[in-house]
Amino acid sequence: MARIICTRFAVLAATFALAFGIAGRPARAALDVSVGARNVVKSAPLGECDGNASRALVSVLGKSAEIGDTHEWVAIGAVDTAGSSFAAAAVHCYPLDGGGYVVTFTCAAQTPPAPETASVICSQLADKFGGQP
Amino acid sequence: MSRRARRAAIAAAAVVIAILWCGSRAPAAVDFSVGIRYVSDTGSLSDCSSKAKESLDAFLQSASESSPGSGDWSAHSTNGVNGTPTADAVVRCYGLSHGYVVTFTCAVQLPDNPYTANALCLDVAHKFHGAGAITSLAAIPTPSPQPTGCATNSLLGTWVSDDNPKLTFTMGLNGDLTDSEGVSGNWSLKGNTATLIYYGTHSLTLSADARHLHGGGYSLTRKC
Repeated sequence: MARIICTRFAVLAATFALAFGIAGRPARAALDVSVGARNVVKSAPLGECDGNASRALVSVLGKSAEIGDTHEWVAIGAVDTAGSSFAAAAVHCYPLDGGGYVVTFTCAAQTPPAPETASVICSQLADKFGGQP
Repeated sequence: MSRRARRAAIAAAAVVIAILWCGSRAPAAVDFSVGIRYVSDTGSLSDCSSKAKESLDAFLQSASESSPGSGDWSAHSTNGVNGTPTADAVVRCYGLSHGYVVTFTCAVQLPDNPYTANALCLDVAHKFHGAGAITSLAAIPTPSPQPTGCATNSLLGTWVSDDNPKLTFTMGLNGDLTDSEGVSGNWSLKGNTATLIYYGTHSLTLSADARHLHGGGYSLTRKC
């Protein structure tokens, strides 16, 4: 019986050591910024851009907020227990003469620990936004 | 459940717990700023691009346009203490029927970067306008040079097993080690006592000339 318990402890200790050895290597976090798509949508109200921007940010980063009444939208990704966030994005809407608007996507991420690169975040935003290039 | 299956389950649970524990450490955070938007009734997209490049180059390096003629410009800081850029700014110009519109967006990595994204965006925008007070941004800390040779305060370098010359260990800057077969582990050094986490935990003693490690079932000599 004692031999079985000792063997189990040895297996557990070795497993922990191996796992800590693998996971304990410090990851070199890097700032990643993406200049995402710029789309021009003709004959559409600016309100459509605002609505799509907000929905896209909520869909990808979980939240959205307009900066004042500027038609500029921003979202900061989920925070960890320390209050830190590792992803963010901005969607800028601007009206064009004669109707329509131009919209741009700009994203940042710190990988790791962010699971997605800034480029992926911007692509997801553009897809969710659904504007015509 | 068989004894073997129970052992496998315990081992798997231990791996998951250990990896989750280690993975929960957050190295830094992203600080993001959407700067001002400026609309000019005069000037062309080319004018905007020229000012965008100039304003980015004033604070950052390697200002470049995403694609020629796009008007989308970005630049990053010099490498920070961890060897990678810690600040980035994006200036996006779009030509209107009369003039242009330009936006500023910045991101920095905290606490590695000495100034915030807001401070960076404010300075870049003010430089673009050619007006407004520009705050002096703190210098990016210089990366620590990697120790070379047989440093007595580090195990960095390549170590060869005295018992088996085919077995080597490469000790990395971040406390990581990799053997000649690709198996990884960790090292640390306190005084002349080294700890290797490699198929278990081993305590070794570093010689006075920092060329030899003995103990814990290992005898290693450093190439330096």
